[in-house]
Amino acid sequence: MTVLAPPVEERVELLDRIWEERPGVLGWLTTVDHKRIGLLFFFTSLAFFAAGGVEALVIRTQLAGPDQRLVGPQTFNELMTMHGTTMIFLFVVPMGLGAFGNYLVPLMLGARDLAFPRLNALSYWIFLASGLFIYTGLFVGQGPDQGWFSYVPLALKQFDPSLGPDFYALGLIFNGLSTTATAINLVTTIFKLRAPGMSLNRLPLFCYAQLAAAGSALILLPPLTLDLVLLELQRKAGFHFFDVAAGGSPMLWQHLFWLFGHPEVYLIVLPAFGITTSIIPTFAKRKMVAAPLVALAELLVAFIGFGVWAHHMFSTGMPTSALVFFAAATFMVVIPSTVQIYAWLFTVNLGRPEFRTPLLFVGAFIVFFVIGGLSGIMFAAIPFDQATTDTYFVVAHFHFIIFGAAVFPILGGMFYWFPKVTGRMYHEGWAKASFWLTFSGTALTFFPMHIAGLLGMPRRVYTYPHGLGWDGYNLAETIGGFILTAGLVLIAANLVFSRLRGAPAGPNPFRGPTLEWATSSPPPPYNFAVIPTVRSEYPGWDDEALFEDRRRLERGLGTYPDGHRQPEATVRDAYPDDVADMPSESGWPVAVAVLLSLMFALTLTSHFVAAGVVAGLAGLAAAAWLWKEPAE
Amino acid sequence: MNVFAVPARRSRARGWWGMALFAATEATLFGTIFGTYVYLRFKAVHWPPDGIASPSITIPLVLTGVLLATSAPMQLASAAARSGRARRAQALLLLALVVQAGYFAMQLQRYADDVQAHPPQLSAYTSITQLMVGADHFHVFVGLLLNLFLLAKLMDGRVTAYRRTGVQAAALYWHVVNALTVVVVLLQLSPSL
Amino acid sequence: MTGTRSGAGRARRRLQLLLPLGLPLLATGCGRENLLDPASPQQHKIATLWWVMMGVAWFGLALIGFLLALGWLRRKREGLPGGGGDRVATALVVGLGVAAPIVSLSALFVWSDIFVMRATSAPNPSSTSLTVEVTGHQWWWEVRYPGTRAVTANEIHIPVGARVNLVGKTADVIHSFWIPKLNRKIDLIPGRTNRIVLEATRAGRFRGQCYEYCGLQHAHMGMEVVAESPARFRAWLANMAKDAAAPSTSMQRQGREAFLNEACSGCHQIRGTDAHARVGPDLTHVASRATIAALTLPNETGTLAGWIVDPQHDKPGARMPALDLQGPEVQALVAYLESLR
Repeated sequence: MTVLAPPVEERVELLDRIWEERPGVLGWLTTVDHKRIGLLFFFTSLAFFAAGGVEALVIRTQLAGPDQRLVGPQTFNELMTMHGTTMIFLFVVPMGLGAFGNYLVPLMLGARDLAFPRLNALSYWIFLASGLFIYTGLFVGQGPDQGWFSYVPLALKQFDPSLGPDFYALGLIFNGLSTTATAINLVTTIFKLRAPGMSLNRLPLFCYAQLAAAGSALILLPPLTLDLVLLELQRKAGFHFFDVAAGGSPMLWQHLFWLFGHPEVYLIVLPAFGITTSIIPTFAKRKMVAAPLVALAELLVAFIGFGVWAHHMFSTGMPTSALVFFAAATFMVVIPSTVQIYAWLFTVNLGRPEFRTPLLFVGAFIVFFVIGGLSGIMFAAIPFDQATTDTYFVVAHFHFIIFGAAVFPILGGMFYWFPKVTGRMYHEGWAKASFWLTFSGTALTFFPMHIAGLLGMPRRVYTYPHGLGWDGYNLAETIGGFILTAGLVLIAANLVFSRLRGAPAGPNPFRGPTLEWATSSPPPPYNFAVIPTVRSEYPGWDDEALFEDRRRLERGLGTYPDGHRQPEATVRDAYPDDVADMPSESGWPVAVAVLLSLMFALTLTSHFVAAGVVAGLAGLAAAAWLWKEPAE
Repeated sequence: MNVFAVPARRSRARGWWGMALFAATEATLFGTIFGTYVYLRFKAVHWPPDGIASPSITIPLVLTGVLLATSAPMQLASAAARSGRARRAQALLLLALVVQAGYFAMQLQRYADDVQAHPPQLSAYTSITQLMVGADHFHVFVGLLLNLFLLAKLMDGRVTAYRRTGVQAAALYWHVVNALTVVVVLLQLSPSL
Repeated sequence: MTGTRSGAGRARRRLQLLLPLGLPLLATGCGRENLLDPASPQQHKIATLWWVMMGVAWFGLALIGFLLALGWLRRKREGLPGGGGDRVATALVVGLGVAAPIVSLSALFVWSDIFVMRATSAPNPSSTSLTVEVTGHQWWWEVRYPGTRAVTANEIHIPVGARVNLVGKTADVIHSFWIPKLNRKIDLIPGRTNRIVLEATRAGRFRGQCYEYCGLQHAHMGMEVVAESPARFRAWLANMAKDAAAPSTSMQRQGREAFLNEACSGCHQIRGTDAHARVGPDLTHVASRATIAALTLPNETGTLAGWIVDPQHDKPGARMPALDLQGPEVQALVAYLESLR
């Protein structure tokens, strides 16, 4: 971009001026740039990942041998509850949607921001506040200790009079607001802000995965929110939903929770599938095999995922007909996943794959996902589920899915998009070393858990006696946990070092096929000086179209230079039929998030009237925020 | 270079889609509330439990009919905003708002009395019923604020793209809330029907 | 493990041929909660289900590993080994990703979710010869034999060869009852009763514990099924139904006084005395049990005394408080409790 003719340079400078945000801390507080918000999501969820990791290491150290007393039962139970809650709500989901989705979706669509940039900022600040809210409980000695799925009656006041379950319930309601807002934002963006010509059949598979994940988030969060509201009403206001004596039922909690909880698994893995379908074509240097089937499979997984919740409850004594229905649905959800796995594998086989670090992580992802998937199928065999549920066999299964199948693509994606985000290359040799360390650490941590489970080891025990045959496997798991940690630290060190000293990357070091590679690294605040025109499924490989986009910049077409603007298009065909005025930086999202935090804190401490007043103030702040129109 | 023919009619703005998705997630929330009501109901032997009278039918049904009717002025306001007629949109919004506010005031009065007579702490029946009805009233209240906000925005007699989308989104919100209210009322009255 | 070398044993040994595939220690019969060392026809079916599923799973994983390795080996060459392109690959995606799973999963569905499930589901009470009622408490198990006065805790005696109808309930939060060598598990949920059949084919002590997280001491909520010959079982049950033996030494008499005067009798029952509380385990025949505190400690003089002095040491959070007892009082209490056979 150094040899631009003067008119182009002027146009770019004009865009730079229009889209520039305040410098410094104030700039980060008021930013509405999806890339900066994506980075905020990234680093915040990474910090929670570290917290959840430390909790896991304490758990594993305690369980390294029988009858250990590194921590007592209360501390252990708080740690295991916080580990699950953190990893799911404060790490994987915000990482997949909030960081990867936020940063990449507009870039892949050829858009300049998400559809609602200020709402996006609010999402982030709520996410941060809700995470700190939940962790406050741990630090004031009232940490949630009822397990991450918080079964009643254990979580009722009668059995848990501390504030722990309240921190958990209110914190997760709060957190759900963030995920809901992000999901609305992503779906609307994918529907309305695609570059001209990017009809739905040319939508990158990454965005299909994000669309499926965000769409299912909108359906799966309400059952959780309701469940948590019912819990708080019962705990704080004496309502009756879960106690048998007053006509309630403890099963109500479980149904609502798993109605959320199982689709949540797909919310966790779908963004990872999206990362995988981005990495594989790039390094196999060819288009995806059976791409329409993969897109369909991504949507189907999200859909069928809503019909399988009760397989988490096979041992509760449900009627046989219900058992069989949910088992059959569980078998069905396997098929979209196998389609994707074979599509990935045959894409690699058809192409001439270059096994660089991102592809290595994806390969490991496939192996781990298959292991976790196969043990998952076993849980649809009802009698086997009824035997192994709530043992370490389940712990092994879902860690292969959540760590192996969700976190590995995220790690691969961190390497893959590192040059795009920073403009520099990571160190390939160290990256490969860290991959093998992480891979072997993961296998050693989680594989022996299958065996411990078959030997009858229950999950969530803070200690266990000698003589049940569990000792060796637990020791191996603990050693694996530390190897895994070393691998993760090495990854972090590589990326930090490369950020400072890495070789310049250029706009497209891997020759990626999607639009984020068509702009500079890192992208400018407006992403694209000229809104690209899309004529194929892999616009990054369409040299003719890219050349034409450059020509249009020279002629000053499609740069939308009069304000924060960009085209809005029709949903199916992406015909641009309107010009959207996008909002600029604002302090209101932070203000609303602060007021909402205060409201939740007051609710927690049972100051309901004050909480209502603060909610009113938050409403006023929201009205003030909406008063100024973007075009003004 | 205009390879993309502009369609004759502008498609729905992103603001409308945002509201549609929000309404979808709210409708799901109500769906789970309805599911909870039905679940608890079929677990119980007596619904309502002994000692609690079945709800009366006439007034709630009439009120719901009145609320439902406000979908018409909301839809007309949306059309007026679409064609740029600010004053007409304002008048229709005001009409809807007056009726909705009257509805809300009466319902709030009735709700307060009912909570007094059948506190939610009594049983699962009162808990879920009061929660469901209260959640519905709260959504009506939010809709009132939305209409007030739009009326204020339209004071200067101009329709901008932002306001047009706002009115369309508000109309959609009210349609969804009104539809949900019908289900809420039918469930609430179901022991007497 | 003293297992019989019956047909079940032979089948188990045949299945051990699968061992090199990666689960070395499993089928050696070790592990007191090893679900793959079945001692009942029901658990035998579940174990067989596992071995077959595991074999197929290893095959599936090997196929995926093979395809990955093939991709790596042929990384310099384009196309599939036979020269196939996109069309062949898409056909393979549909064949391997849709058709193959439909066939294999349907077979698994019919076998496991119809046949094996029927065999392991709640028994028809008329098909059983004995009913045992187990109630979960935070954090111990109350065991009753309806129709008799027998009450005990954390130890479930059953006769070998009989079909036992086990009825599970809870007194507080949700617990889960599972004896890995005998059958699947059942959750114990407030307002519900779940049932399961126990049918031990050999004598032995089969360990189990609570499998649904139930609070602070979930880890120390073990129980054991003791399967013994019908004659021994009948004798045991007759003894359990009796009142407690009267103290025979002065030490034991002092112990009984202490029990009735101190807080002990506020929670525990000893039938035949004035202690009738039912908060904690029934102690009428406490000396006949092998362990105390739900399998936390062996039932020996030292451990029993230690438990009475400070239950919070071995089981922090247990509902039993540490009482301020003097040394002689503790000795007397232990002497008395140890006489309750």
